[in-house]
Amino acid sequence: MNEYEFTLKFSLPETISHPSTYLEKLWTEGCDDALVGIGLRSRIALNFTRESSSAQEAILSALADVKRAIPKAELVEATPDFVGLTEIANFLGFTRQNLIEVMTSSGSAFPAPVHEGKSTIWHLFKVLVWLKERKKYSQQETLIDIAKANMQLNIAKDAYNIEPTFQQKIWSLMT
Amino acid sequence: MVALCGKIPVYFMTRKSHSKPEIEAALRYAEKNGWRVEVGGAHAWGKIYCPYNDKDCRCGEFCISSIWSTPRNAGNHAKQIRRVIDNCTNHNKNVSSEEDD
Repeated sequence: MNEYEFTLKFSLPETISHPSTYLEKLWTEGCDDALVGIGLRSRIALNFTRESSSAQEAILSALADVKRAIPKAELVEATPDFVGLTEIANFLGFTRQNLIEVMTSSGSAFPAPVHEGKSTIWHLFKVLVWLKERKKYSQQETLIDIAKANMQLNIAKDAYNIEPTFQQKIWSLMT
Repeated sequence: MVALCGKIPVYFMTRKSHSKPEIEAALRYAEKNGWRVEVGGAHAWGKIYCPYNDKDCRCGEFCISSIWSTPRNAGNHAKQIRRVIDNCTNHNKNVSSEEDD
């Protein structure tokens, strides 16, 4: 058994009163291993430290617990997954400057970001794996596992928006 | 005496202690960093409130965090509380500043 550390953020329907109404229900449904954040209207976030046989099992069981407590809660994001420079540096224990040096010295070999713009965003998993395999930076395995599971969960959640025929055409061009 | 009460800093005010020592220590750490602790609830023991709960604060949901009276693991719950305090953006403003770019 390993301990996995992750946060699930949900939006609540407008009709639902303050998120604190759900605290007792979350407790009885098994979220007693999470710190619950209720500081934003129509939002609720749970920072789990969950003991489980795998990262996938940890996030799936956590998601199921929350859905039982608040059936109308909609997953917004599982973290850590989407990260900027500062967050990556914090996870690695690097300074920002350190990380920028590693990036620029690796050129195009460094994992491509999900989004480039005013802020640049990566999937944490891609960066961690690249650093481990190419640079031999040792990482906490549970962090890599949870970053991978979160990435898949976030992608799966958004994949609901793809029209099936369009998806087939896209995939045929990518293989 | 009544007149003096308003002058006593929040962290000296008496409140019910949390029964788990690790969590009580984390709550004192929160208070030392300006957070307000409010007791009340059943399984939900109470709440902590970020001192910077305004439009610039990016603690987001965790600006108000709920504390369990009997969490599954008291040590882990205490660590979760401390992480929220340490991640508080305004709190860290002087330590590390700039946006990602």
